[in-house]
Amino acid sequence: MVKENLCVQIAGFGSRDEVVMNDLQRIQSARKGDEDAYAELVKRHSGGLHRTVARILADDTEAWDVVQMAFLKAWQKLDRYDPRYSFTTWLYRIGTNLAIDLLRSRTSRERAHKAGTEHRLRLVGTGEGAGTRADSNETDNVLQQLVGVLTPQQRSAFVLREMEGLETAEVAQVLGCSATTVRNHIFQARKALRRELRVRFPEYLPASERG
Amino acid sequence: MNCEIFREMIGSYVDETLEEGRRLWFRTHLRECPTCREAALREEPSLLFAMAPVAPVEPEAIDVCTAAVLGRIRQDRLERRLHRRRRPWMAAAAAAIIIVSGGIAWRTMVGGGSGNLQPALEVQRNAERQNSPPTVEVEMPGEEVRVYQFANDENGDTAVYFIVDPALEL
Repeated sequence: MVKENLCVQIAGFGSRDEVVMNDLQRIQSARKGDEDAYAELVKRHSGGLHRTVARILADDTEAWDVVQMAFLKAWQKLDRYDPRYSFTTWLYRIGTNLAIDLLRSRTSRERAHKAGTEHRLRLVGTGEGAGTRADSNETDNVLQQLVGVLTPQQRSAFVLREMEGLETAEVAQVLGCSATTVRNHIFQARKALRRELRVRFPEYLPASERG
Repeated sequence: MNCEIFREMIGSYVDETLEEGRRLWFRTHLRECPTCREAALREEPSLLFAMAPVAPVEPEAIDVCTAAVLGRIRQDRLERRLHRRRRPWMAAAAAAIIIVSGGIAWRTMVGGGSGNLQPALEVQRNAERQNSPPTVEVEMPGEEVRVYQFANDENGDTAVYFIVDPALEL
């Protein structure tokens, strides 16, 4: 899985092949009931999965619940894991599906409450090029407030592709759809976010765009 | 030179027609070059999200998550174990009911008795049941020792579960 952000995070563990090999060995041990081997997999992948799920859900705390549930489900279904595919793709598929289910189950009342408690962001600055100085938290905060305009599938596709840097084929595997569908989700998501950004966050646009 | 190439690629990136290797280069340059970032945002504001760098996750949060996952795995295993333990008991109980009721029905049909078991025999059986010791099973996965105690009374599905730390001196 070419996942630029994940590769940065696991750089300390050695080469990508080495990481994949270690994952496979741990999965083999975990299948035999080795909890320590599985704990290593959780430690290695929970951070990245949490970041992705938190961006999809726009909720940091709920995301940890989903991550735990995803690892529990993965443990229960380890026998069904096909080693020809990346463990990360398989795990992200479980986690993303749980996140999408959660989004669908949220009531409209909860969504209305969330919208009502929105607050304006602390901006890095409002002068020339403020948008170019947005740090990670700022970008996540902006997404958190705009992501409500996207469908669960659009959110997931956009986060995996645009923010986590996965290839289209990998996003398709995670979401269980075709590459064409992924491109369509990205196109629709970008269109909606572009519109919302111009209206609600002109501070993040270049000075010439702010009017 | 790189900046020129980057700006020519903006449209292809947004249209999802850029080859994956070039896409990766584009995203790296977007993060590293402030001038190109400004130009890219002018053309496509949603590129703001492609700039999001990796926010590190607190190691403590990962430790908490790992402990929670392992705790749930152990709880899940215990529940399945208890479930399995209950099944033979239920099957035996069902078989006993069928045999006893079949016997009573047969005796009633042939007219050989009142259809009730003798009270003295029933009292004796209850006493035997109450005096039998609980079943204890010991499991040693890794360092810890787990002791399961199953009650041998009418509530036979009741179990007590201990984790004994082998480092403790008795």
